[in-house]
Amino acid sequence: MRKRLVIFLFMLSIGMIFSGMVMAQNTVTGNVVDSKNAPLIGVNVVEKGTTNGTVTDINGNYTLNVKSGATLVFSYIGFVTQEIQVAGNRLNVVLREDNALLDEIVVIGYGTMRKGDVTSSVATVKSENFNVGSVQDAGQLIQGKVAGLSLNTTSGDPTARTSIRLRGNTTLFGTSSNPLILIDGIPGDLSTVAPEDIESIDVLKDGSAAAIYGTRGTNGVIIITTKRAGKGDGSQVEYAGYISTQTIANKLNMLTAADYRQQITDGVRAQSDDLGGNTDWLEQITQTPINHVHNLTFRGGNPKNNYLATINYRDIQGIFLKSYTKRFTARADINHSMFDDILSFNIGVLSRMEKLNGFNGYTYRQAVIYNPTSPVKDENGVWMEQPGAFNYDNPLARLEESDGQSSTNLNRVNGTITLKPLSGLTLKSMLSYSKWNLTGGYYETRNHISTVRAGLNGYASDNTAENAEKLMELTAEYKKSIADHNFTILGGYGWQDFIGRSFFVNNNDFQTDQFGYNNIGLGIGIKEGSTAWGIGSGKTETNLISFFSRFNYDYKSRYLFMASIRHEAASQLYGTNNPWGTFPAVSLGWRITEEPFMDNVHFVDDLKFRVGYGVTGTQPNQIFLGVATLAYGSPFYNNGRWIQTLTPGRNPNPYLRWEEKKETNVGLDFALLENRLSGSMDLYKRKIDGLLYDYAVPTPPNLVSTTRANAGVMENKGLEILVNAIPIKAKDFDWNTTLTFSTNQNKLITLSNELYQVTSDYFTTGYTGEPIQTFTHRVDIGGEIGNFYGFKVIDVDNTGKWIYEDADGNAVNYNDFDHSFENKKLLGNGIPKFLASWNNTFRYKDLDFSVTMRGAFKFQILNFERMYLENTKTVQYNRLKSAYDNVFGKAVLSTDMDLEYNSYYVENGDYWKIDNVTLGYTMRNPAKYIRQIRFYLSTLNTFVLTGYKGIDPEVYSGGLSPGNDERDKFPTTRTYTLGVNFTF
Amino acid sequence: MNTNKYINWLYIFIIVSVSSFIGCTKLYDNSYSEFLTDKFNPTEEDIPAIIGNAYGSWVPILNHWNGLWRAQELGADEIVIPARPNGWVDGGIFRRVHEHKWTIDEDIVYATWDRTYYGIATCNRIIYQIETGFVPISNENLYASSIAELRALRAAYYYILCDLYGNVPIVTDFDVEEGYLPQQNSRKEVYDFIVKELIESIPYLSGEHNQATYGRFNEWSARTLLAKVYLNAEVYSGTAQWEKCKEQCDLIINSGAGYSLEANQKNVFVTENQNSPEIIFGIAIDDQYTKGWNDFDIHMQTCQPSMQAKYNLKQTPWGGMCAIPQFIDTFDPDDSRLKDNFMFGQQYASTGEPLKVTMGNLIGNPLILVNEVPDISYSEEIHGYRFEKFEIALGSSNVLNNDYPLFRYADVLMMKAECMLRTGDANGAATIVTQIRERAFKSNPGKAIVTGVDLLKGSKYDYGLRTTSAQTHEGGSDIKYGRFLDELAWEFNQEGRRRQDMIRFGVYTKKSFFAHSPNGDYRSLYPIPRGRIETNFNLKQNTGY
Repeated sequence: MRKRLVIFLFMLSIGMIFSGMVMAQNTVTGNVVDSKNAPLIGVNVVEKGTTNGTVTDINGNYTLNVKSGATLVFSYIGFVTQEIQVAGNRLNVVLREDNALLDEIVVIGYGTMRKGDVTSSVATVKSENFNVGSVQDAGQLIQGKVAGLSLNTTSGDPTARTSIRLRGNTTLFGTSSNPLILIDGIPGDLSTVAPEDIESIDVLKDGSAAAIYGTRGTNGVIIITTKRAGKGDGSQVEYAGYISTQTIANKLNMLTAADYRQQITDGVRAQSDDLGGNTDWLEQITQTPINHVHNLTFRGGNPKNNYLATINYRDIQGIFLKSYTKRFTARADINHSMFDDILSFNIGVLSRMEKLNGFNGYTYRQAVIYNPTSPVKDENGVWMEQPGAFNYDNPLARLEESDGQSSTNLNRVNGTITLKPLSGLTLKSMLSYSKWNLTGGYYETRNHISTVRAGLNGYASDNTAENAEKLMELTAEYKKSIADHNFTILGGYGWQDFIGRSFFVNNNDFQTDQFGYNNIGLGIGIKEGSTAWGIGSGKTETNLISFFSRFNYDYKSRYLFMASIRHEAASQLYGTNNPWGTFPAVSLGWRITEEPFMDNVHFVDDLKFRVGYGVTGTQPNQIFLGVATLAYGSPFYNNGRWIQTLTPGRNPNPYLRWEEKKETNVGLDFALLENRLSGSMDLYKRKIDGLLYDYAVPTPPNLVSTTRANAGVMENKGLEILVNAIPIKAKDFDWNTTLTFSTNQNKLITLSNELYQVTSDYFTTGYTGEPIQTFTHRVDIGGEIGNFYGFKVIDVDNTGKWIYEDADGNAVNYNDFDHSFENKKLLGNGIPKFLASWNNTFRYKDLDFSVTMRGAFKFQILNFERMYLENTKTVQYNRLKSAYDNVFGKAVLSTDMDLEYNSYYVENGDYWKIDNVTLGYTMRNPAKYIRQIRFYLSTLNTFVLTGYKGIDPEVYSGGLSPGNDERDKFPTTRTYTLGVNFTF
Repeated sequence: MNTNKYINWLYIFIIVSVSSFIGCTKLYDNSYSEFLTDKFNPTEEDIPAIIGNAYGSWVPILNHWNGLWRAQELGADEIVIPARPNGWVDGGIFRRVHEHKWTIDEDIVYATWDRTYYGIATCNRIIYQIETGFVPISNENLYASSIAELRALRAAYYYILCDLYGNVPIVTDFDVEEGYLPQQNSRKEVYDFIVKELIESIPYLSGEHNQATYGRFNEWSARTLLAKVYLNAEVYSGTAQWEKCKEQCDLIINSGAGYSLEANQKNVFVTENQNSPEIIFGIAIDDQYTKGWNDFDIHMQTCQPSMQAKYNLKQTPWGGMCAIPQFIDTFDPDDSRLKDNFMFGQQYASTGEPLKVTMGNLIGNPLILVNEVPDISYSEEIHGYRFEKFEIALGSSNVLNNDYPLFRYADVLMMKAECMLRTGDANGAATIVTQIRERAFKSNPGKAIVTGVDLLKGSKYDYGLRTTSAQTHEGGSDIKYGRFLDELAWEFNQEGRRRQDMIRFGVYTKKSFFAHSPNGDYRSLYPIPRGRIETNFNLKQNTGY
């Protein structure tokens, strides 16, 4: 306090001196603080209408000479700008943080909008609300934060990515089920930039929002906005770092060596199964990973020239040996504006270098099934192996006798020129060039079981790939207000171009393992005509051309209107009758709170009703489906020499067009009680027309029995609710809580049109793998995606043999049961019917505590581990302990029955997960030069409440075979993080 | 401030933008892996690559999963795929084929239909491309012989359909109108079509037997095909054509083109068999070129996993398919074809070490293959003799290098013998059969001799059920020319044809063997796959299905 008083007196005296010197001028001094009374440094203080200005110092103080009666404008990034008329010489200001809901900026296609004016379903998550800790990628930051967006971490592999699904299944054979991910407007993926370098993530959920992205918009659009350079003066340095470790989320309870020996004593198992050792194979292949991540951000400059640079390093190991991702990302963002902001430039440079090695899930399978009495090595130090056994490899040897690494580089340069020649008119030209390179190598030593079995004498493969993407977007936007009528019109042109190249070589028969894949020419496999060698290369070029436009209108911010259209073509449809698609959208909003009759309703801060309709597309993922092609393929022995003959690629289909999703969305946004209670609700119905499907066509005369064509229709209907409440908001204590809920109903309406008729009213999909070798799912026309379809067991007899329910509903004994397709039944569905999440943040003084929880309900999982490892007939592999539990409380499963896929292994998957728990402590101005330090402890995937018996009920629920919890899956992990953030 | 300056900027911006709009609406059409047909102008150099494609269907038709080979063998009395410790239940498909209970949805029902019509559509396309000049053949003789060769090849594909499905649509046009649904033809019409096509093509085909005609339809392979069609004419058309069949066989035997019997039957099936004079039509296979999965993998389907070490195979074999014990029992112990064509007894690694059982209840026991299979629903690794007619070279990959002799000279001789036997010249037939047998009884030449009387006897095959639940003994002595049928079995087992022979001798749908009981005469034709009828309502299902 004393220090402040001294400064105040000092300022005052200076002020008096100045005021004495310049009569017409008035010296104003003051102090700027935030709502928590912490001084704000670097706040812009400008005399309105002039260039006269200054910034606050380290203690938040400023002094400025102004004309008497002047108005001062206080602006600071992240805070609401305030204008205050000067009265007297002292002006202290409390800047409110810019979290007022309605003024929040929402990123929409090719621009931004005030949240209050948005008429579509758009969700925004800002960095302060991100999940904390060792996240895999940008997806995990917003897990459980957006209603209707299902983000799943289904693998603990450090090279894996989050799987995304928005508003149900949308395609059968389309390009992909992934949303379009834009990083600062440029297509990329969830790990293009480091999670720590992200400022906010916006999700365009409904068709009216996504339609401006045309053919790529069907699965929604996720817009990632990276941290930006500040517009103010001054500079800032931030460091964020953490270390973390992981453990397996859950272990399978397999028989141990002791169990084996007990079984031998009991006569259940052959004596020959005791190999004399005692090995925990899972432990043999696991490690305790130590991960660390560092992120350094520099910002600085002034309103005309400013920059941001970040450096990010992440070193993440997996729980399995030799699995890791090491990634270095550097990014710079430079802005320059000239001619009074009429012309401005932005240059962004991104460079990402990555080294990674994934994990082959088959090795995990081996660790699970390998005999626990088998030593790792024999007395001579040689790996214990049984080369004659089928699908049976020493798991540790698989890891130790192989070596692989991929390294990738991504370089992206983008520039934007913005010209504002007239008031309200903005012309923008964005150009971007990204290049991604991969080099990968893999080596199996001469002792690796695969090379031993195949007599390869060492095997190496080396590959490289390169993708280059060019993007040009030209947009013009004009904003105009006439009285209470506000218009914005946007028009644009986009050109995107992709070129991919790849090359690989495989070789074998090496004299030494010393050089691995690094000296591939050493192998003589190619010279000797081994069948393991291979060379290949390829190149693909595609482009995407689009014209788009959007029109926004509002009257007094009360009635809101938006219409957009995109006209687009992609080379995937080259040669078809009409490669161009048109994707319109329209939406309306009614801000009820802006109506005069609401003036006296004070507890309602905002109430907006929205309705929107939009069309988006999905493009085929193969090229030249519409034209006849001839490719070299099928070999032919021609006069003593082998030649490649020319084979047609497919039945060409010139009628091929875009899959089109037509979506209607009705929504309500509300904010009550001074924004203490807010949220939104959305009801949607999305119908996808022209689903691509491989239609059966008559052979003869067609070459092959299917032609890829558009004819299917699928529908998703659903409801999404997000409620945010601040139940407690006191000086020292805040509690902020968010609840989301969503449900989706899926239906495949038809798979036929006038040209293509499906031949049966269902198709089967999904696969159990060998040796069961059957499909897992069936999709019925008129039904939903994701139905498990197999034999239904209702009981076992006294000998532990299945009793089935046959097609007619009769109970049938194992020996009498016809294991036919006709006797298969619907066993459940792998897509959760409801998703919910509940996130809480508590703040007590400088301590904060947050818990995010999320769950999925009403769905089933096919537990592959149980299906394969509870069978008692298979003697060559280890089993789950639960194989000896009584089935249906009656008897242990009979040893006379083959492995099979039946309802006993289809379990309810409902779960409620306490996912991210974080405890943090923030110190403000702890020392000179340090503005803030924050420490935190965090866990991810902390605790699961579920009846599911497998490792983790959070399994992949996308695609056509959702809910398959497969054997070779890298188990999910629990992560513990200790982190610190410094702001200088 | 100079506003004009900015307006100039604006103009530049607009001009740049507009010009790029005009220039940039072209979709890429660069292809780096395939020719876009309408942009491709082949030269004479490309002719073999275009025409050769028509032959590419042989390997898939015959050898790919659930292909013709299995369709001809798995429902017959020589080969079975029982349940094994590592699987091979596969939803009961192999069992259903063995028991003649296949459905109209079965993969094995679809596979040959689709792959064969693919071959036919390819022939039709190439004939069209030649006739329309897309394939530039200026030489008149080459033009005529190319068309003739493609027609003979197409006839061969129709022969497969005629044999398996009978009543199939004949399509010869490529450029059909949209939505064209072919009409169904009767089996007799298909038979007549094949005969006509072959008779019309043969005059233009090369009479040479050399490297250039190897694996292609020359006059002699076309005549062998014609003989085979005549041999089965009674089945296909209701009228036997023994004389015509014999006539074609004689033309081949007297051709002077250089076809002859190998001194050892095994020579026809060795890894490097492409120069064998016994092969009339061989399907060339080489694991450096024909690298498709399942291109030729009898060894993968029959060897147990640990037998990888026996041949140093590049892949672990899958274990499964074996000989039906009753069939093995028909062999004379001195018949060298038993040990040349089958694996049995203790199995050894290439290093000489005895192999062991690695799966199932006998784990750890020596791997001694026995001529016994307990049941189609249960077997251990040791059960059943395995197949090695095609030599398995040390270090083989999942694709064997041996060419597949689809037509061979011994077959021509045996066709002639069968015609003679059936037309009353049993002694003449016996001379030929003896000739074939001589190379199999070198250790005991006396046993090679067969008489006309022998050939008129029944079969040695002790038909009847042999499962854990049922054991019956029907015998085979009632089978007319049963002994000749046995001779065919001993000589041509594992060659993807047993079903056809059994049908011609009236046995296929009449006798029980292993776990198979007769399930209706209509089973001598496969059904038209459900999906193919559903996409073409002109097609009528074969009787009984």
